[in-house]
Parts: sequence; structure tokens; C-alpha cells
Amino acid sequence: MRFVLERFAHNAVALLAVTTILFFMFRLMPGTPLAAYINENLSAEQQQLILEQFGLDKPMWQQYLIYLANLVRGEMGMSFFQKRPVIDVLLETLPNSLILTLTSLTIAYVFGVLAGAWLAWKRGSWVEGAAVPVVLATRAAPEFWIGMVLLAVLSFNFGWFPSGGASSPGMIYTSEWQRIFSLDYLHHLVLPVLTLAVYLQGLPLLLMRSNMLEVMHEEFVTMARMKGFSEWRIVIRHAARNALLPVVTAFALGIGLSMGGNVVVETVFSWPGIGRMLVLAVANLDYPLAQGAFLMIALVLAIMNFVADMLYMALDPRVTHGRKA
Amino acid sequence: MMLEVEDLQVHYRTKDGVARVVDGACFAVPEGRIVGLVGESGCGKTTAVRAIMGVLAENGWRAGGRIAFKGQALDQAATKPLLWREMAYVPQSAMNSLDPVYTVGAQLVEVLTKRGNASRNAARARAAELFDLVGLHARRLTDYPHQFSGGMRQRAAIAMALALEPSLLLADEPVTALDVIVQRQILDMLRELQQRLRLSMVLVTHDISVVAYLCNEVVVMYAGQVVESGPVRDVLARPRHPYTMGLRNAFPDLMSDALELVPIHGSPPDLRETLTGCRFEPRCPFAQAACTTSPAMLGGGTGNRHVSACRRDGEADSLRQAALDPSTWQRTSSFAMS
Amino acid sequence: MAERLEAAPRALRPGRRVAIVALLRRLAAMPLRDPFAFAGLLIYALFVLVAIFADQLAPVPPLEILFTGTGKLAANVPPGTEFPLGTTNLGRDIYAQLVHGSRSALAVGLSAAIVVSSVGTIVGLVAGYFGGGVDSLLMRIADMALSLPFLPFVIVLTGFLGASTTNIVLAVALLLWPNSARVIRSQVLTLRERAYVEAARVTGASRWRILFVHIAPNIMPLSFVYAAIAIGWAIITEASVSFLGFGDSTSVSWGYMLQDAFSSQALSRGQYAWFVPPGLCIILVVVAGFFISRGYEEVFMPRLRGR
Repeated sequence: MRFVLERFAHNAVALLAVTTILFFMFRLMPGTPLAAYINENLSAEQQQLILEQFGLDKPMWQQYLIYLANLVRGEMGMSFFQKRPVIDVLLETLPNSLILTLTSLTIAYVFGVLAGAWLAWKRGSWVEGAAVPVVLATRAAPEFWIGMVLLAVLSFNFGWFPSGGASSPGMIYTSEWQRIFSLDYLHHLVLPVLTLAVYLQGLPLLLMRSNMLEVMHEEFVTMARMKGFSEWRIVIRHAARNALLPVVTAFALGIGLSMGGNVVVETVFSWPGIGRMLVLAVANLDYPLAQGAFLMIALVLAIMNFVADMLYMALDPRVTHGRKA
Repeated sequence: MMLEVEDLQVHYRTKDGVARVVDGACFAVPEGRIVGLVGESGCGKTTAVRAIMGVLAENGWRAGGRIAFKGQALDQAATKPLLWREMAYVPQSAMNSLDPVYTVGAQLVEVLTKRGNASRNAARARAAELFDLVGLHARRLTDYPHQFSGGMRQRAAIAMALALEPSLLLADEPVTALDVIVQRQILDMLRELQQRLRLSMVLVTHDISVVAYLCNEVVVMYAGQVVESGPVRDVLARPRHPYTMGLRNAFPDLMSDALELVPIHGSPPDLRETLTGCRFEPRCPFAQAACTTSPAMLGGGTGNRHVSACRRDGEADSLRQAALDPSTWQRTSSFAMS
Repeated sequence: MAERLEAAPRALRPGRRVAIVALLRRLAAMPLRDPFAFAGLLIYALFVLVAIFADQLAPVPPLEILFTGTGKLAANVPPGTEFPLGTTNLGRDIYAQLVHGSRSALAVGLSAAIVVSSVGTIVGLVAGYFGGGVDSLLMRIADMALSLPFLPFVIVLTGFLGASTTNIVLAVALLLWPNSARVIRSQVLTLRERAYVEAARVTGASRWRILFVHIAPNIMPLSFVYAAIAIGWAIITEASVSFLGFGDSTSVSWGYMLQDAFSSQALSRGQYAWFVPPGLCIILVVVAGFFISRGYEEVFMPRLRGR
């Protein structure tokens, strides 16, 4: 329990630090301090509303506290260009990012774990010698470049997949759920997910492989052999189970890191996610939206860091149970 | 004879060549006896025992010799069904010998259900029995390995080894990592279990006092070979191989008059090289010219189970006297040159 | 006293020079044993040469708009003898852009690597060796840097402060130093307890002397590991940022080429010669970095490969 509280506090403090840094960063941007929230695009009443909401005429330290209080309530100001609350824009786009992240990460990790374990099995063979540099190459390639190549070949060349967006023009849906599970959405999802999966599988693959190689030399694996267990039992129930621990935590961390990292892939495919929203906001100097998008990404990162800590605790008995005499 | 090992050879492939870690070892384990396998680190005792179980490191293999269990010659295929059911292994440091992510009880049940034929319920009951046998509380079955202390882990390892009621127990330095008091407890427990369950045991150790305390017979190994073997009282009281004589001097005995601790100068040969002659010769105070060219075979007087691989076996009594004098061992280097 | 010093490991003998020479020897010997690292160094060398001799290898200025003999814009010319990789939709020589792009990659990569590596090493050394309040403070700062989403931060910084290579390097450095700092710190913690450091302390060496003469040289291979990794990260980050449109548009980088290709619909035209080569170059350089860092990692933390 102490561990849980400690990790929660740690991540909460980190998140607070990020929001504080952001607070000062946006205030220091070129332009007046008000420029972070008010712009001539907004109507006069909207401007007045924001002024009061954020106490933009008050001293800096008061503004900071109001800023934090507003954040907790989800109040992040008005997007200059969309002229509606930032939080609304974000909540609309968040599901797209989450679906992209979760789908691609799951595929990448399932593949990576299986392939990594298999490569460990094939230790010393030419397959392993050839495969490792290839996998390293996938990690060395810019994600968006992989996307560009796939786009050019599979979409423009063969015409199998749409070239961007999350839905074809003219589609109407009765609800969010229907939209997300529609065939059209999935069709649009394929290329972005494939791109990310190709890029992301390298980490779990190499991690699983190196963990397996290490674990297979552990004493308890030798003992399992001496007990006469089947190879399957030794490799899966004992070796893999131990080797998977770091991979599972990496998965959780990966979700957090992906939210920010998906920026480029979302841009290549015009996928309407938070990352792309951030890029557009920055390009348009839409400060409130940029701030909000950044914070949302940082929030997911902090949450997933905490989840990763919890997973580690749940899966490794050595962490929860202390030594008894 | 429960176990017979004849001319066993185990080689390891290293980046500097092939190391003949066990190079012609011969010994036997009579039914119901505890045989101590003793020697300094690197002499091949652990490797020999692992070869018996048929589980060697990736770069090791059994290169020759014969291993027979209850008269049946063992190869990889023949060994598999015997593993744990007839022959079991107690590891050196039980620290890592249990899977850290499963409870000890779960691992016992696993062995009982997958290698034995017990149902899950019967297995759980038996696991509690086994813990009882080794002096652990059944409450501990739901604990994880890292929650056990060193001595308790060793008891658990012994319980694990006895799970399927094997006839032969191979214990590899089972008490080395423990403090003296716990050592004594575990050794007493092993003796009691051996008598109760009528086990045959091979106890690998580098500590002669452990051998003296627990074993019926002793096999002394040096540089991959057996140099002396026989009933423990006989070998320790009247050693016939210079190495054993030297070993005895190296261990303090609180009971007798304080003899000086006399180390044997030098170190064992590199097993990657081809070796001719007696391997102990460079460090032996009694070496002669012939010792460098042809090794002696294990042999002793007729009808005598106490055998030694020394050319000068006939003079064993007088050599033994000389060995008691520390100055004999100081002159080792000059003898090696002559 | 004298005999004790004789028996001590090399690092204890007086003379900073000895320690540094031993270190350099280790660093230089590594690639000879590891073929991948050797290949990596070769690739680095190749790109450095290309960057230095860019003007000779591709005399045409990368941003110059070219015209055909008949006075028309030489737009989207397919690869051929005159233009090995063809031209962009604005009539620029793609091959020239690729070659000159190596300069930008080198600049960004090296400067980021130097900054990240230096900051990370110094912080790691100080935090690990002095411990206590200094250590806590530095590690808290490291944690904060790590909780900032990487690419979004770089985007915001360059988007608002302006697109320039300096800003990109700055952003990369600000967020990447904690990784190397942490690892180096834990190595220092281990080394601090080693016998020869104790011996140095006993013989009266000052804390700074111990730090720089005995501990630092043993940390250096790790710094190299992270420097090699940082080069790759920086190049990819610069490419990503350029691709998003926040890059420096005055100089040609591989990222710029990819952004240019993308926004000029090169994908739909199937102009593979435009956007595939820059990506391949990035892959080569980054993979080279991986190989080199893996090689040095082996030197520093060797894993048992067979007995």
C-alpha cells in the first residue's frame, strides 16, 4: 500500500511540475501575457468571460492558482479558431488517439513478444543474426516515413486503403460507438495502425528476446529441466512468464509515450487525433488549444506511468511481499 | 549398486578450446549409503553430478564413459523418465533454484501433478506432508521463494527433491551457503531423512568436515579425475593419496591438537591442455620422475574398497607420516623440479 | 605502502595520463572486435565525408530552381543521367538535396550528442558521487524532464520560439539528458564503493581528484554509448519536426525533403526516388548509432557469451 501511495504521489508531483512549466512557458511566449488566452478571433463576450474565468488581470501567483483550479474542472479556455471550449475539442478527438494507440500497441506487442521469444529460441542461428539488424532498422526509421511508404504503395499505388482521415466524406453515424465500429472507420484505421505497429514492434521484440536469453540461464530453469518437465512447460510457464514482466510494464509505458509520439503518424494520415490537433493548434498559434492538447498528452503519460508502476507491483511478487524471517 | 560411474568424460567448449572438465571419473554409490564427493572448486564434482542428471550447460556434453542406475545404462533418452522420480537434485544455493513468480507450494504441486500422478488435492496434501518432513510449517506453502530465509529455502529445496520419493538424491553443496549452526541442522535433517526413507545419496562438497560428519563413503576428485575413494573413516584417518593427505591438513579440526593449517601450494592444471602423467604431480611433495609420464590407475590391496590412484600407494603409510609435517609441503617446488 | 600501490589496479597509479591512455585504448579496440560496431563507424565515416565534400559531390545548390534546355521548369523530372534522383515539383535537384542534407544531419546529430552526453555525464557524476541533497535535487529535475512528452514539447518550443536548428537541439538536449544521467549515476554509485577508490581516499586524494582521475575514465564508455544513441534520436527528431512544418526552411535537411515531398503530393505521383532515399539515409545513420552504442555497451557491461 505504501508503494501505491508513493508512486501515486510521485506521478502526481511530476504532472504538477509539467502543468506549472506549461503555465510559465505559455506566458513567456511572444506577445502579451493575455495572448495565451485571448485573441481577436473571439467575440467580445467570450473575451470578457475568459478574462474573468482565468483572472487575467490579477497578479501572476493568483493566476497560477486559478489556472490549476480551472484545470481540475476541465476548464481550459476557448480555442481561437474553433471558437468553442478547448475541452470539447479535446474530448472529441481523444477517442481517435486512444483507439489508434491501443490497437497498434497491442498488435505490436503481441507480435513482438512471440517473435522475440522465437528468436531467443533460435539463438545462434543465421535467422537470429539476420533478424536483429532488420528489427533495429525498423526502430531506426522515422515513423512517418514508414507511413509515407505504406501510403504510397498500399493506398496510392494499389488503391486498397483510403489515403487519410478517419472516415469517408458523406458518412453519417447515429452515435460515436457506431462510428468507431463501422467498417469505414476500420478501413481508415488500417494504414495508420500498420505503420505504428511496424515501428513499435521492435522494442517488445528485442526486450523479450534479451529477457528470454537471460532467464533461460537462470538456475530455476535448469532445475525445471532436471525435474523432467516438458520443454513447453519450461519455456512458457517458467521462462516466458518471468521474461514478460518488463515487457508488460513497457506496454503500459508505451501507451503513455505513444500519445505524444503519434503526432507525426496522425499528420501523415490526417488522422483526427490529439497529436494532430496539437500540431494544427501550434501552427495556427491557437494557444489555448495547444496548451490543452499538450496537457492532455502529459496527463495520459502520467497516468500510464502510474499504471505501469501498479502493473509491475501486481506481477512481481518480490515487490509486494517483503522478506519474512 | 544404486549408481555406477565408469570413466565418465564431460567436456565443455570454451572460446579457448575444449576443457575436459571430467576426464575419466570412476565411483559407485551402494544402495542406502551416503557418498561424499569432495574436491576443490573446478575439480569437476558438480559437473559429474549434473552429467548424471543429464542436464549440462549449452556448451557442455558427455564425451564418454558409462553411467548406470540400478544396473541400467543411462543415456539422454533413458534418463528422462527417471528424472525426479528416481533421481533428484538438491542445488547449491537454493536462492535462484525456485521460480520467483510462483509460490513454493504451487511449484511443489506442479511437480507432484505433472511428474507424479497426483490429483491437485492429493498434491496439496502431499506438499504439506513434505514441508512437515523437512521441518517447515505448512502455512509457508503460500509464500514466495524470496520470502524464505537461506536455511528455509534449503529445506524447501530438499522437500522439492523428495517429492516423488526418489531412490537417489544428488546434493550439490547443500549447506555451503549457510551459517554453521544452520549447516548442522540441515545435515542432521539429511541424515535422519536418509535413514527413514532409505535413500542413497551423493553429497558434493569441498568441505571435508561435512564429509566426516555425514557420509559413509568418500570419493576424492582432483582435476577431473578420482584420486582416492573408500569408506570415510578409512580414507580420512589413513589417506593414501598425497592430495587427500594435503586436504586433510588444510582443514582445522577442533577436537584434535591444533595442527598448523598447511595449504597445498600451487593450483590445479588447466583442463584445456592435454595432460599426461599424474595431474597432481606439480604440487605433490612425493612426486617421482615416473609420475610425470604415466598416471597410476585407481587400485588398492585386494578385497579392499579403499583405493587410491598413486604409484607410491605401497608406501602410503610412511608418506602419510611425512605429510603430517608442514615442512614437507614447503619443499614442493624443489621436488617438482627433480 | 609502496607494495600496496604496486598491487592496486591501473587506475590507482598516479597520473591522469595513464588513466586516459588506458581508456582511449579500450575505446579504440572495441570496433575491431565487433563487426557491427565497425560497420557503424564506417557508415558514420562515410556520412562525415559526404558532408565535408558535399559541394564537390553535388555542385548544384540544393535549393536552386532548375530549368530545362527549352526554358521550362525542370519539374518532376524522373531519375536519369542528368539528375540521378530526379527533381522536385519545383525543379530542384533531389540528389543535391540528399547530399547536402547530410550536413544538417551531422550538425544536428553531433551538437545534440555532445550536449546531451556532456550534461548527462556531468549530472550523473555529480549526483552519484556527492549524493545527498545534490543528488535528490538533480534526480527530481530529471524526473520532471522525463514527464514531459517528448515530441509535443519540441513542437511547442519550435513552433513558438521559432524554427531553427538551435532550438531543436536545445529541446532535444533538455529532454534527453536524464536517461544517460541516471545510468551514469548508478554506475558511479557502484564504483564509489570499490576498493581502489577507498584506497585513493585513504592515501589522501582529494574528492575532485578521485572523481576525475579514477571514476570518470571508467564512466566514459557509457557516455559514448549515450552519445551514439543521442545522435540518432536528434536526427529523427529534427526530421519529425521538419516534417510537421516547424523545421528550419533555410537549410535543406532530410526531414525537409520528406516534408516537401509529402506536401507536393509526391506520394500520389509515385515519386519514390524523392522520398525513399532520405528515409534510407536516416535509417543508416541511426542504425549505425545503435551498432556503435551496442558495441560500447559490451565493453562496459559485458554479458557472458558462452563460458
